[in-house]
Amino acid sequence: MSVGILILYGMAGILMALALSRRDDTFRLGLRRALEQFLILAPRMFCALIAAGFVAKLIPGDFIARYLGSEAGMTAVLIAAATGITIPAGPVIAFSIAAVFAQAGASVPALIAFITSWSIFAAHRIFIYEIPLLGLSFLRLRLVAVGVTPIVAGVIGIVIGWFFTLPLGTGP
Amino acid sequence: MATGTTMSTDQPALEEETGDSWWGSLLRRSFGRSFWGFVIFAIVSATACYVVVGAQAFDEAVESDIAMVLRTVPRIIAAMLVAGMIWVMLPRDRLTSMIGGESGFMGLVIAATAGVITPGGPSAAFSLLAVLGAAGADRGAMVAYLASWSMLGIQRIIVWDVPMMGAEFSLTRFLVSLPLPILAGLIARMLPMKLALVDPGADKVHKR
Repeated sequence: MSVGILILYGMAGILMALALSRRDDTFRLGLRRALEQFLILAPRMFCALIAAGFVAKLIPGDFIARYLGSEAGMTAVLIAAATGITIPAGPVIAFSIAAVFAQAGASVPALIAFITSWSIFAAHRIFIYEIPLLGLSFLRLRLVAVGVTPIVAGVIGIVIGWFFTLPLGTGP
Repeated sequence: MATGTTMSTDQPALEEETGDSWWGSLLRRSFGRSFWGFVIFAIVSATACYVVVGAQAFDEAVESDIAMVLRTVPRIIAAMLVAGMIWVMLPRDRLTSMIGGESGFMGLVIAATAGVITPGGPSAAFSLLAVLGAAGADRGAMVAYLASWSMLGIQRIIVWDVPMMGAEFSLTRFLVSLPLPILAGLIARMLPMKLALVDPGADKVHKR
């Protein structure tokens, strides 16, 4: 049992108690809305979760790591940002891959670009949550708006590296 | 204020329908066309995994998939309960003035801060965002919220970033990324793109 799920159920409990305390239709309407969203989401989510596990196996992490060293500078940032897009999996897999990159000598700006890129593009979240809950037009708008941020993050990292020694990403 | 007027129509729309027709239309939507797209996606990726990486990797993927589904379902149930209850109880007028279309730069800052402190995984963040969107949140604020939650979410940093990458690296990344959600929100406000939010709970679209 993780802290996250405890917090989530705690919040659900408090909110349901609040809704019940209003002594009107609030609780029933809230429950109904929850059920509606769950039934729309659950079948899609199930398929997307299954797909994510398989796609994660298809990513050649060790191979990519060779191109992320600090001597590669901006190129490493771009490759790292592009790689981040392709990780359709949660933090367990994404951070394991980041740790593999770090041990293989990836530069700090490249690691920052990789994690930023994964965190905003994570394809499993897009398919499981974003498209069913918000729709394609929001996805389009968001992707265009955040598209540059991994590269901006990497560039800020490179610039900071000119003035300060950046801490190395350590492996697990 | 355009957002203010669309807002008042956002009450649950299916209230009139009861019994069979409600269940029928709900089930039609939950197993609609996009669902079959997901099924095909899963089959294609499974086949590719088996063919390209081999049977052993395939078995490992199946194992981690089962664990993932078992781990996720209870979270989704809790997140949907949270989102559903917030949906009916949220003071939407107050929210619109905080992060609605006229909230300006402060709206982006508020949304980005909310993203940092939102606990829980994507099930919580996305369902909350859907509620905010339906309640009239501005597009820049929505983008800033999600960017901030995904890049700077404090829970993931504590649970994953620090143990796996080290505290110094995590802090560096946090500081480097700090301005980016606001930047993304500003870009989103400038983009001449249409935004029509789906609303899976009410079978309609919120044009923005």
